[in-house]
Amino acid sequence: MEKVTITLDGREVSGPKGVTVLELAQEAGINIPTLCHHSYLSPTGACRVCLVEEERSANLLVSCVTAIEPGMLINTQSSRVIERRKAIVELMLASHPDSCMVCDKGNRCELHRVASKLGIGVPSFDKIPQRATITDVNPFIVRDMSKCILCGRCVRADQELVVEGAIDFLGRGFGSRPSTVGGVPLEQSECSFCGTCVVTCPTGALAERGAMGVGTTSRVVTTTCPFCGCGCSIALEVKDGRIARARPGDGGPVNRGTLCVRGAYGYDFVHSTERLKTPLMRGTDGLEPVSWEEALETVSEGFRRIIREAGPQSLAVLGTPTGTNEENYLLQKFARCVLHTPNIDNGARLCGAATYAGLGGTAGYPGTVGTIDDIESAELILVIGAGLSASAPAVGYAVKRAVARKGARLILIDPRMTSLTRFAHLWLRQEPGTDVALLNGLASVIVSDGLLDKEFVGRKTVGFEELSRHLQRYSLEYVQQVTGVAAEDIRRAAHAYGSATRAVIIYGGGVTRSARGTDTVKALANLSLLTGNIERKGTGLYALQARNNAQGACDMGAMPELLPGYCSLADEPGRTKFERRWNLTLPTSAGLAAAEMMTEAAAGRVKAMYIVGENPVASFPDAASVEKALGRLELLVVQDIFLTDTAALATVVLPAASFAEKAGTFTNFEGRVQPVRKALPPLGESRPDWEIIMALADAMGSPLGLETLEDVQSEIEELVPFFQAAGGTERVGAPGVRDTAPWPGRRLYEQVFPSTFGRFSSVDYVPEEGRSEEYPLILVTGGQLFQFGTGSRTSRSPRLRRFAPDSYVEVSEVDAERLGIRDSEEVRVVSATGMVAAVARVTNAQPRGLLFAPSAFPDGRVNGLFPAILDSQSKTPALGHCAVRLERGHPYA
Amino acid sequence: MPEAPLRQPPDEAQIEQIIARHRGQRWALIPLLQEIQEAFGYIPPESIRPVAGALGLFPAQVEGVISFYSQLHTEPRGKKVVTVCRGTACHVRGGQTILKLAKQQLGVEEGETTPDLEYTLETVACIGVCALAPNMTVGTTTYGSLNPAKVRRILGSPKEADSKEAASNEGTTGEGNGGA
Repeated sequence: MEKVTITLDGREVSGPKGVTVLELAQEAGINIPTLCHHSYLSPTGACRVCLVEEERSANLLVSCVTAIEPGMLINTQSSRVIERRKAIVELMLASHPDSCMVCDKGNRCELHRVASKLGIGVPSFDKIPQRATITDVNPFIVRDMSKCILCGRCVRADQELVVEGAIDFLGRGFGSRPSTVGGVPLEQSECSFCGTCVVTCPTGALAERGAMGVGTTSRVVTTTCPFCGCGCSIALEVKDGRIARARPGDGGPVNRGTLCVRGAYGYDFVHSTERLKTPLMRGTDGLEPVSWEEALETVSEGFRRIIREAGPQSLAVLGTPTGTNEENYLLQKFARCVLHTPNIDNGARLCGAATYAGLGGTAGYPGTVGTIDDIESAELILVIGAGLSASAPAVGYAVKRAVARKGARLILIDPRMTSLTRFAHLWLRQEPGTDVALLNGLASVIVSDGLLDKEFVGRKTVGFEELSRHLQRYSLEYVQQVTGVAAEDIRRAAHAYGSATRAVIIYGGGVTRSARGTDTVKALANLSLLTGNIERKGTGLYALQARNNAQGACDMGAMPELLPGYCSLADEPGRTKFERRWNLTLPTSAGLAAAEMMTEAAAGRVKAMYIVGENPVASFPDAASVEKALGRLELLVVQDIFLTDTAALATVVLPAASFAEKAGTFTNFEGRVQPVRKALPPLGESRPDWEIIMALADAMGSPLGLETLEDVQSEIEELVPFFQAAGGTERVGAPGVRDTAPWPGRRLYEQVFPSTFGRFSSVDYVPEEGRSEEYPLILVTGGQLFQFGTGSRTSRSPRLRRFAPDSYVEVSEVDAERLGIRDSEEVRVVSATGMVAAVARVTNAQPRGLLFAPSAFPDGRVNGLFPAILDSQSKTPALGHCAVRLERGHPYA
Repeated sequence: MPEAPLRQPPDEAQIEQIIARHRGQRWALIPLLQEIQEAFGYIPPESIRPVAGALGLFPAQVEGVISFYSQLHTEPRGKKVVTVCRGTACHVRGGQTILKLAKQQLGVEEGETTPDLEYTLETVACIGVCALAPNMTVGTTTYGSLNPAKVRRILGSPKEADSKEAASNEGTTGEGNGGA
C-alpha cells in the first residue's frame, strides 16, 4: 500500500493513499470537530465544521471528504479555521430551537458539544423561529424536525446501513428536511423501526419515545441481544435500576451500528409487571408463592422419589436456546450426572436440528460456514426459506447492502412476497414442501450444463457419480410440474448460481422446520459442493438460527444424542473422556428428543419433566396433546421468567432472571462466542438459571463440583476442544470485551476445511399430504418482526405489543374475495388438528391458495394447528406449513 | 383558498409505458420524470413507486429529486401557466401590481392552480424581455408593456386576448423564453 506523508499541525504523519485528512488526524490523536461524519456512513461533507486550512495554498478544506496528498501542510486550528467553524455553528444555532433545557438529548447532543468546545455563547445571528411538529404516533420513534441540522446521518443510516429507504431529503434550501415519501408518519412508511437513525442522530431531532426525560445514564453495559440468532452487540444504558435505552454496542462485529426493532425497543419485557418474582407451588388454590428452600426441597424430593420408583429413564429435561452456553452446559450435566437420565434436549430441536443432521455428514461441519462479512463480498446470494427482515434482520441488512451497494445478485426462493423481494433479481415462488425437488432441479442443470467446479469436485468430494445419476430424474419439466416454478426460471437460477465465482446460500426456518428439512439442507449442501462455493471468502452456507443461543445450546451438548462439542455417545474414546471427567458411566444410545418426551409423557413412561425457559404448549405442534401429556406428569418443574402457558401447568415454578440480570456467553449463528453481561440485579427473588441449576444439584445431594461461572467455563474449555481454541469466551467480571473473534477451528474457508472431503447425498423429493377438499389452503408460519418466537417475551414488551397487537393471518386477495373475507375481519383458521382465531389481513404478498401466520401469536397457539409429524432424521417437528381452511367469524361469537 | 383541484387518477398503463423505456437506467431519472410530466402535465404521486422500482432507487430518493427541482410538480397544473415577472426592470415598472391583479383575476395565490384546472399562477425572476417591462407569460405566449386593463383582458377572457394581443407587436410567441 502506497504511503502518503503530510504535515498535520506541525507533525509529519503518514497514512495509506486514499484516506481522508480527517481519518488521518483521528488516527494521530488530533481532534477535529464533526457533525455529519459517522464512522459507519459514507462521508458527504455536509456540515462543514471539520474545515481545516491547507497552508501552502491557503485553502480551507473539508477534511472528511479530502484525501491526503503528498506534501500537504494542514493546520486544524488556525485562526481562520476557528473563525469559520464558529460562524457555521452559529448559523446552525440560529435556526435551532432554544429547547436544550427540556431536550432529552441533554449533554449527549453533539451540536451542543461542538458549540461549547468552540466557546460559542450567545449567538450573534437573529434566531429563525422553529416550531416543533410531531406527527408520528408510533411507540418507538419521536421526530422533532425543528431540531434537525440537516447532517443527513439518518438518511444515510437508513439507506446505507439498513437499506430500508424509508426517508430521504425532501425539498430544497430552508424547506429541506429528511422525510418519508409524501411526508407521511413513519408508521405509514417503509420504516421498520430499527432505531438506527435515532442512535446516529447528533441532536434531539430523533429520539426514543419511551425514554423521554430519562436523560443521560452513568452506566452502560455492553451485552448480546437475547432475541434472534444474529447475535447483535447491544449496549444497555442503565439508570435507577432500569434499562433506560438500548443502542448498538460500539464496534459490534455482527451488527456494526444497527439493531432491529426488537433489539432496540423490545428490551422492556425485562421490566414487565408480569415477571415472576418468587417460586410458586401448586397448592389447593392453584399456584401459590413459596420460599426457595421449600420449592427446591419439593423438586429434589420429587425427582428422587421418581428415580427410586421408576428409574432415571422416567425423567426428562428440556433446556432452552435462550439460555447461555454455561447454563446449557450445566443443564445437560445436571441431567446426565445428577438425574442420570439420557433424556436431555433443548428448544433448538424445533428450528435448527436439520442443520447439524444435514450438514455434518455432507459439508463436513454441522453449522454455518462463513461469517456475516462474507455475505457482503459475495457475487451471488441465494436465499431460501428465510424471511430475513423478520427472522434475522442483521443478515437481512447485510444481504441488502450486498445487493444495493456492492452489486451482488440475489436469487430468492420463497412463495411469499417479503421486504427482500424488491431486491431480488430472480424470485422463484415454489409450492410449499417442494424445496427438495426445486434444489435437485437446480443441481441437475448445474451438472448437465457443465457449470460444476470439476477441480473441486474431484479433489474434495465423494459420491458425485451417484448424485449425477440420481439427478437425471429431475428434468426441468418434472421439476416445473412439481414445484410450479417455470422451467426457464429454474434454468436461469442454476446458471446464475453455477457461474458465479463467489456465491453464498442462506437458509432459515422455512427449510429447517419442515418435515423434509434435513433432506433440503443436504440438497443445499450438494449445490455448494458441486460449484465449490465453500471454504473460500465470499462463499458458504449460512444456517440462520431462530434463537439467540441455538448454536451454543447444541455446542454445549444439551441434546439426547450428542455430548458437549458434538461428541457422539457411540464414540468410545470421546465418551470415555467425559466419563472420566464426570466420574460415571454414560449410556451409549441416545435419549429422548424434545417431541418424543411429549409422546412418552402421554404414554405415562416419562413421569417428571424439568423444563427450563421453554414453552412447549405454544411452541410444539398439536398443543392440545402437549397440554394433555404435561398434565399426566407426576411432577412438572418449569423455570422461566414469565408464567407461560406451560408454567401454568407446573407443579413447581422457579422464577428465572432475564438476560440483563445475568452473565455468561451466547454463541451466534456464525459460531461467534459473545459476552452476556449483568446490567441489573435479578428482579425480586428471581435467580439466573445457572444458579438455580446448581442449587437444585446441591438440594439433590450431588453437587456439580462447580462454584462459579468461571469454573463452568473452565470445564467447558477442558472438554470442548473448539471452545478452548476460541479465546472468545470472556471471563466473568473481566474488564472490557476480550477477543470476540470466531473460533479459528470453526472457519471452513482459507484451508481450514475440517474434513478432507465433502459428501454428496442423493436426496429425493417425497410428496406430502397437501391440500384436500376439506382443507384447501396451505398455511405457512414464520417469523414476524414485531413479535418473536412464541411471543412470551415480545408480547410482554409494552411497545412491541402496542404496535403489533393482533394475531393475524395473511390472505391473498383472490382467496379473500372468493371466501368473502374483508380486511381486518375476524376469521377462524381450522386444520385437522386444531383451530385458532385471527384477524384477516388481505394482501397481495400472498400467492393464491397460501396463508401466512406469524409463529408468535399473541392470542392463540398457531402451532397447535400442526399435526405432530417429525423429520425422521433430525426429529424436528414439522411446523413450516400445513393444510387448513379459513372460515369467517370469531370462534366464540 | 380555492378548492383543491379535482384530480382524476392517472392511467397506470400509460405510466408503465413511459417507465418501460428507461427500466434499469438509473441515470435516466430526470428525463423519465420529465416525460411523465410531459404526458400528464404533472408527475402523479402514484408514479413515484413504479419509477423507483424500475430504476433500482428508493421511492424516497425519487421524491427527493422531484421536490428539489422547481420545474417538477406532483400536483396537477392548469392548462396554461401564468408566469408574472418579478425581475428588477418589471419591479420598478409595477410588476408587483401586475402580480396582485393576476391573483385577483384568477382567484388563486402564487403557486396555486384554479379549481377548473385552467390556470396555474407562478412568478419568475426574469423573462428576459426587460425592454417591454412589466411582463408576463401565459403558456408560451409572452405579453409585454402590461397595464391593469390589459391584464384583465388577457386573463378575463383568454381566448379573445389570445387572438388580439398575441397578434399585435406587444406579444411574442416562442418556446423556452421563461427564466428558471
